[in-house]
Amino acid sequence: MSQKPLVELKDVKKRIGKKDIIHGLTFDIYGGEVFGFLGPNGAGKTTTIRMMVGLMSLSGGQILIKGKNIESHYKQAISEVGAIVENPEMYKFLTGYQNLIHYRRMVKGVSKGRIAEVIELVGLTNRIHEKVKTYSLGMRQRLGLAQALLHSPSVLILDEPTNGLDPAGIREIRYYLRQLAEKEGIAVIVSSHLLSEMELMCDRIAIIQNGKLIGVQSTKEFVESGTERKVRFLVDDPAAARHAVSHHVKAERITLGNEYLEAEMEREMIPEVTATLVVEGVKVYGISSETKTLEDKFLEVTGGKEIV
Amino acid sequence: MSNFIGLIQNENMKIYRRMGNLIMILLLIGFIGLTGILTKTDKTKPVSDNWKQELKAENAAMQKTIKKEPMMKSHYERSIALNEYRITHDIKPVDAKSQWSFVGESPDAIQFILIFTIIVAGGMVASEFSWGTIKLLLIRPVSRTTILASKYLSTMLYALLLIIITFVFAWLWGGVLFGFDFSPGTHLSYANGKVVEENIVWHMWKEYGFASILLLMMATFAFMMSTIFRNSSLAIGFSIFLSMSGTVAVQLLSKYDWVKYILFANVDLKQYFDGTPLIKGMTLNFSLSVLAVYFVLFTALSWLVFKKRDVAA
Ligand SMILES: Nc1ncnc2c1ncn2[C@@H]1O[C@H](COP(=O)(O)OP(=O)(O)OP(=O)(O)O)[C@@H](O)[C@H]1O
Ligand SMILES: [Mg+2]
Repeated sequence: MSQKPLVELKDVKKRIGKKDIIHGLTFDIYGGEVFGFLGPNGAGKTTTIRMMVGLMSLSGGQILIKGKNIESHYKQAISEVGAIVENPEMYKFLTGYQNLIHYRRMVKGVSKGRIAEVIELVGLTNRIHEKVKTYSLGMRQRLGLAQALLHSPSVLILDEPTNGLDPAGIREIRYYLRQLAEKEGIAVIVSSHLLSEMELMCDRIAIIQNGKLIGVQSTKEFVESGTERKVRFLVDDPAAARHAVSHHVKAERITLGNEYLEAEMEREMIPEVTATLVVEGVKVYGISSETKTLEDKFLEVTGGKEIV
Repeated sequence: MSNFIGLIQNENMKIYRRMGNLIMILLLIGFIGLTGILTKTDKTKPVSDNWKQELKAENAAMQKTIKKEPMMKSHYERSIALNEYRITHDIKPVDAKSQWSFVGESPDAIQFILIFTIIVAGGMVASEFSWGTIKLLLIRPVSRTTILASKYLSTMLYALLLIIITFVFAWLWGGVLFGFDFSPGTHLSYANGKVVEENIVWHMWKEYGFASILLLMMATFAFMMSTIFRNSSLAIGFSIFLSMSGTVAVQLLSKYDWVKYILFANVDLKQYFDGTPLIKGMTLNFSLSVLAVYFVLFTALSWLVFKKRDVAA
């Protein structure tokens, strides 16, 4: 991960009419990472993305792309950005290829070879000379991606990129976005309200709700971190088990059930505790660990009701 | 600059790759084709060799009726003056069934060009919003002003193309139907009590020019409506309605002095060259100023709205 952030949001606010939609978002996104932008419907993901690409003005704060302010230095800032905002709507009466030619004419220095390259990349070679109106949703999504990558941007912003893709397509795009981040050092920003998907492809995830940032977390930390989790041991004698584990785990972290013992501990502790139980002659029928996934966190912070 | 040409190419691609816009061109060609056939099969006799006698007889008849119908006085005076000029200067009337007479009528087609251009102009910005493509169009290193300018210019180029197609096709079709004639005759016009001789080609382009003023203003208006309301039906419907009713409304209201500030009272500049101004005191410079004010208003409004608007399509 590079040192200087490629995208900086500083207390970004948006007010439409009398309604505050975004209440001051601050976070940085670095080159080489896939950054997830997670929130329930209506959280303000698309609105934030619109501000990041200059489609909407900011009511407060600023957005810098490679240090360039998107509002005051629009052309320089936007040159670094490739994006899909909501659905990738293309000119339906043109072919996929003509659509790409259209966008090529709007930037400097994109060769015909580059067009062929991105077409190949998104796997549209066979259908590129057909009219877009004959494309399926997934194919349009791919064409949208091709359009966003055309000018080799250093920041890629995709609003719900897996929308309409089949499982194979989702896996492909996930793999591909990771490649872009890792191999080319691009900052990839994806929004979604599907957490499971985000966990698989993002390095860090920002959770927003009602236009407020709830937190930015590293996905890795969550999956393998030392954070404690509840581990349940199915045992024949919970009381004996408590005695056995008492010098590993503090008493207040232990709960007893009818035929089980639950203890909060770090992942690394599990084998040790298990061994102790066995040595002490407690019969262990099963061990289950309840990882606190981002989803739990997400459900926790968003109340769980609003997620689709 | 090369960038701007690219943008024009883009807009042209979006105009001409759509069936509807091509069909309009075909309709225009069809209209000219049909007019040609109607003229060809018309019963009027060609101008005879003793046309001087005929014109004299015509004049004598008009001298008589002029007393009975004082309302039509200026109309008759004009015809009589033109006929006399022909007789004294030995200028044979142009045969209706000739290539150049046919080409000379082609500026009539501009009323269709007006409607077709309004249709294109009214969709220019609004369609990008309804297609949703505006989002991808605007996130490029090109200013919104430049994009709007390329859209406006492409609209005008479409109108220009239709005019050129009209002229070229009328010339070709006229030649096919009536025989090619490479020495266009003379057109006579009558202004301020005097007869003026003009080359027929020059006269025709002047007709195109006069008619193009309404075209330019209404296309700009439709373009503005398209930008402000992002609704092509509204922009097109309203602009066509105004184009058709505006001139008539202005005639009906011509007794009021304030009417001279209305756009439609000023779009017909011919009133200063070949006719009388709609309202006393109106001059060519006055009309040009009024037109300029409307033009600046239309373009400035489009620009301001397009530049400032949050795109939430
Ligand atoms: N043009 C607008 N005028 C008024 N309110 C708007 C406008 N655009 C968006 N909003 C409001 O802003 C809030 C955020 O909308 P936004 O589209 O950014 O949500 P989102 O996070 O992208 O949701 P989704 O997951 O459904 O795509 C919503 O409450 C929405 O109603
Ligand atoms: Mg959204």
